[in-house]
Formats: sequence, C-alpha cells, structure tokens
Amino acid sequence: MASEYPPSLQSCLSLLVLFLETAFILIFYFFVSYEVPSSLEYFHNYSYSAFQDVNVMVVFGFGFFLTFLKRYRLSSVGFTLLITALGVQWALIVEGFLFYFSSGKVNINLDSILRGTLSITAVHISAGALLGKVNPVQLTCMAMMEVTAFAVDRWIITDILKVESHVSMMHVHIFGAYFGLVVSGWFCPPLLKNKFEKEKSGRLSDLFSMIGTLFLWMFWPTFNSVLLSDDVEKRKAIYNTYYAIAVSAVTAFALSAASNRNGKFDMVHVRTATLAGGVALGFSAGTISHPCVAMTLGLLASTIAVLWSRCVQMHWNPALKIHDTCGVHYTFGLPGLLGGIAHVILAVYNNWDNLSMEGYSILIEVGALSFTVVMALGTGFFAGFLLTCKLWKAPPVSKYFDDQAYWEFPNLAVGF
Amino acid sequence: MRIKLPILAIFLEVVTIVLFGVFVRYDTQNNTLDFQDVHVMIFVGFGFLMTFLKKYGFSSVGINLLIAAFGLQWGTLLQGFWHMHQGEIKVNIKSMINADFSTAALLISFGAVLGKTSPVQMLIMALMEITIFACNEHVVVEILRATDIGASMTIHMFGAYFGLMVARFLYRPGLKIGHVNESSSYHSDLFAMVGTLFLWLFWPSFNSAIAETEGAQHRAIINTYFSLAACVLTVFAFSSLLDPRGKLDMVHIQNATLAGGVAVGSCADLNIAPFGAMLIGSCAGIISVVGFKYLTPFFASVLKIQDTCGVHNLHGLPGLLGGLAGIIAAAVQEAFSVLSPFLPRFFC
Repeated sequence: MASEYPPSLQSCLSLLVLFLETAFILIFYFFVSYEVPSSLEYFHNYSYSAFQDVNVMVVFGFGFFLTFLKRYRLSSVGFTLLITALGVQWALIVEGFLFYFSSGKVNINLDSILRGTLSITAVHISAGALLGKVNPVQLTCMAMMEVTAFAVDRWIITDILKVESHVSMMHVHIFGAYFGLVVSGWFCPPLLKNKFEKEKSGRLSDLFSMIGTLFLWMFWPTFNSVLLSDDVEKRKAIYNTYYAIAVSAVTAFALSAASNRNGKFDMVHVRTATLAGGVALGFSAGTISHPCVAMTLGLLASTIAVLWSRCVQMHWNPALKIHDTCGVHYTFGLPGLLGGIAHVILAVYNNWDNLSMEGYSILIEVGALSFTVVMALGTGFFAGFLLTCKLWKAPPVSKYFDDQAYWEFPNLAVGF
Repeated sequence: MRIKLPILAIFLEVVTIVLFGVFVRYDTQNNTLDFQDVHVMIFVGFGFLMTFLKKYGFSSVGINLLIAAFGLQWGTLLQGFWHMHQGEIKVNIKSMINADFSTAALLISFGAVLGKTSPVQMLIMALMEITIFACNEHVVVEILRATDIGASMTIHMFGAYFGLMVARFLYRPGLKIGHVNESSSYHSDLFAMVGTLFLWLFWPSFNSAIAETEGAQHRAIINTYFSLAACVLTVFAFSSLLDPRGKLDMVHIQNATLAGGVAVGSCADLNIAPFGAMLIGSCAGIISVVGFKYLTPFFASVLKIQDTCGVHNLHGLPGLLGGLAGIIAAAVQEAFSVLSPFLPRFFC
C-alpha cells in the first residue's frame, strides 16, 4: 500500500492550466477593457490600501492558515496562490458578464478586482474542508465551478431578491463552508474514520498556521467594511468587527482551557475560534450601533465554534459521512449562519414599530440566506460528483495529506 | 570580522550622517504616496525570499536588513546629488520610495552571491552598486527619458547582471558539483514562501509607486495585478510540464511567479489593456521556469557563474522581456495616436 505511486499530473495539470490561461487571455482580449477613470475622486475614496488588506488576507492569510498539517504545508500555500490567481480572473469574467455587461463590454477597475478577490474566499474555505484529499487539478476544477456557482447565487440574490450587494457578498463564508462540506462527502473513504498519522499538526506547523490566523485576524475589520459605501456605516463596521473579533479571541482561549481536562489551551481552538467573531459580524457590521451587541455576537460565535469542535463534530461528521480537515464548518459555516440569523433578528427589533412595512424585506433576507445554503449544498453535491471522475487522476488514499505526491523534493528535504 | 565589520559599519554610518547633515533638508511639500508597501517588499519580501537555503536563513534575513538599511541612506544621498537645489537635497516620501528602489537593485545582486560573501564584502558592494545604480538611473530616466515606471530595466536588469558578474569573480572550482549546504529543507522552503507572497501581493504598489497621474497609477496597479495572476498559472503549468514525473518544483513557485511583475514593470502605466498585461505575464512565467530548469545549470557549468537565487531567471530575463515590451507598447501607443480613428473598437 505504501509503495503506491500517485499518478503523474504532468499532462493533466499543465494542459488544463495552460488552456484556461489562453482562454482567459482571449476572453479578455475580446470583452474586457479598463474603466475610463471618469472621476479621480472615486479612486481616492476607493482606497487602494483597503484592497491591499483584503488581498493580503486572501492570499497570505488563507495560504498560511491552511498550513497546519505537518506534511502538507507546501501544497497549502502553493495551491492557495494558484487558486487565487486563477479564480480572480475567472470571477472577473463571470461577474462581469452577469452584473456589468453593458454594450458588449466588461469594464474592470479596482472595485471589480476586489469583488473577485472576496468571492475567492469561498473557494479557499471549501479547499480547507478538502485539504489534503484532492490534487491541484481537482482543486482547479472545483474553483472554476464554485466561482461560477457563487456568482450566480449572488446575482440571483441581488438582482431578483434585491438584497444589498454588501450583504450578498457576506454569504461567502456560508456558501464556501457548505459547498466544501458536501464535496468532502464524496472524498471520505472508510479509512478516514480514524485519524490518519499524516493528518496531524506538529509544533512547527501549528506555528506557521498561526501566522495566517494572525493576518486574518488583524485585517478582518477591512474585510467586513470594504464594500460599504456609506462613510458612517464603514466606520461602524470597522469598530464593531474589531471588538467582536477581540471578544472571540478571548472567549476562544477561555473555553479552550475550560474544555480541556488539564486546563491547557488547544491550538485548534486558538487557530479557528478566534476568527469566528469576524465571520459572524459580516452581515450586520455596518448596522449595529452598540459595541455591546457586536461583542455579544462575537462571544456567541466563538462559543459555538469551540463547543462544536469539542463535542459535536466527532459524532456529527461520521454520521453524515463527511470529513472536514480544517474544521470549516465551525470556523466559517456556523458563525456565518449565526451572523445571518442575528442580522434578521436585529432587523426585526429595529423595525418593530412598522413591521408590516419592513416585514417583507426581512422575509426576503431569510429567503436569501436559505437560498444560499440550498444553492451551496446543491451545487456542491454536483461538483463533488464531477470531481470523483477518473479523468482528474485523484490521488490514492495512501497519498492523502502528503506533499510528496505533488512536489519535487531536493534530497528528500530535511526535517520533513 | 570582530574588528573589520564594526569599524566599517560605524565609519560608513558616520560618513552618511555627516553628509546628511551637510546636504539633506526636508521638503516642505507633502504628497500622499504609498510608501509602506514598497518598504515591506524590501525588508520582509526580499529578506524572506532568500531564506530558502537550509543553513543560511539567519544571514539571509539579517544581512538583507543590514545592507538595505545602509543602502537606503546611501541611495537617498546619491540620487539626491542629481537633483540638488542650491546645494541642498530635499527629501520627501518620493525620495524615500526611490531610495528603497535603489536598495532593491542591491538586494537582487545579493541574491546572486547569496551564501558566498561576508557582511563586510556586502557593505562594500552596497557602497559601489548603489553609486553606479544612481548614475545609471539618471542616464536612463532623466537623459534618455525612457519609459520605465516599474523599473524593469534600471532596477531588475541592472541588479541581476551586476550580481552575475560579481558571482563570476566569486567562482570557486571546488564547488562545481555543488555544495552540501546549497539546498533547501522543508521549513526553509516554507519561510521563503512568506517572502514570495509578500512580494507577489505588493508588486502592484511597486510598479505604481512613482506614477505621475492617478490615471496612470490606476492602470499600473491593474496591469501588474493581471500580469502576476497570469504568470502564476503558466508557472504552475510549466513547472509540472518540464518535470519527468509531473511534480511541481518549489523553486519555480517561489521565484518564477514574480517574473510577471518584473516584466510588466516598464510598460505598466501605458494603455496596454488587461490582455496585454496577461500576455506579458504569461511569457515571463514561461521564460523564467525554462531559465531555472536549463539556463542556471548552463551558467554554472559553462560560464562559471553560480547564481544562488537564480536572479538571472527572475530579474534578468523578465527585465529584458519587460524592456522589449516597453518598446513595443510605446511604439504601439505612438502609432495608435496617429491611427486611432481607423482601428477596430476593442483597441480604443
């Protein structure tokens, strides 16, 4: 079993990627041009540094966040870069055609690149659930499908259900998490029920993963506020996210120690539950006007994350035959749902007096939320089915969670 | 080194402080340029990019810090001498960015000789290289008025070929079959990725930092972004294609993915349309991977140049490509202003 070689990806990977890049260049040649910067004021308001923050989060933050497996670190970082580069170009094309296709041309600017980068988050979250179990060819295909599915989902939510664009983008965590979970259902051979030796984190790999977590943690206020156009809302979103994510960090430490028999911290919780507050604040960051509400949300999100990973996950995942390597369900999925529900509750509370007037739009929010979940589950199921196809040369189970299947190692690198 | 390094370093610092005292004054006009991004690239990006050697990580980051910190002071002075007003050098954010640029050339050369020099030698090299760099930059940008916004030529090509010639003189026949320490380990590769990602993320800032108008800055950011994105794809494809077992090589991912930013540098602010930037990036990625695969061994065996970091493939060749692309783009733009009424719609 151990001598089983993974299939060579030489022709498969290079042909697919080169084909995609050629296709992108051709599509860009025919349809895409710069937006003529009509007013430079726009460029000023629309700060480049906020775009950079998000970019750092998505490439650097997620890349290192996923390096916690001790033998799969090069792949985590490398494939994150690949998927981002590929996904943003594809997202620009798909979103351009769905949203901004005016007069046979797609105009791009920093704003559209930013939206593309934000929607790639969904792919990274799904890749977290599948971490170590799929090869780069499968990841590339999944990225293409998921970006398309999420763009369609957003288009339906914003154009038909008339939900705000900012809110629809914050569905990204929920979409990514449930899409990834369903796909992971297709890659869960019986062997995986017990933890693999390779599927563990080491001291150093946890440290590398913390680099990613810290970058995500630091820049999350930008993530939640970047799409808001109103200045007051933007500032509120930054404050709220800042406090919520601080509370969730403290809570994660407290509950991690409390739920451990020896009262020690568990790196899994420190890595993941600290971020739950930021995820939960995504929907309503700009509308909450008391820091205490945001902080309560952060507390709840972190509590759910720790408790789920501690108590529920080991019963829930085998029962549903899913295998979630990175724990995206409790890091992104559940806090995202909590945020969505809290958003609805806050809307009801704020509009209590004229509920009959606003009730319809609140119902729409609920509908959009459930639509995203259904869409993620449906398209994820379909995508997972396609990914099991033999054509993609999936790695054998014995080569799961192993860098050696994909990377050239000089002298069988030391310290591996 | 106990005596030489402190004496040299303190001597250089005293000289610099005296020269600053005599010549340098603050500029009163303020401009809002993104300075931090370039600074992060120089110190974190280049520093960690070179930590890939398994036993040379401390020196890579440490000497990088030392020579960059000295280089940017020296660069401020040398570049300032070309723009003196009444015997004074005015410094502002833009001169800080330009000083950082001059250290970029130095750090590229450092990559070529990585692991083969002492800090003392590196300080001397910094002194000389930045002096020549400032003269060369003045000739290219001020006298010849070449279009080189992201400095494909003046920084990347200059730094690479300077470093290669230095490496030629440091050649030791004993190292023909390679040195036992000249390889990477699992962790050092991962540390190098920290540098790569920071460079990759902030390269749009590097190419747009000194753009004159905001329209040009906006174009430079978007062009560089797409060039880098396209470059990543072709690098992964070719890295896998050129390996007999189809495996990816970390060296390519760490270095060649940045070639797109180098190559698009000289024409980033021109109206080359996103697809043009993507074409340049794709070509740069391919050239760079092929260079790492075939050219570096050739250089080491035939030309006796041991290029530790492969700067020729990351900065030299893509810089050359960028120079060519700059010529073509400038020519097209020239032709375009004449012919624009007759061209099909997607050029406009």
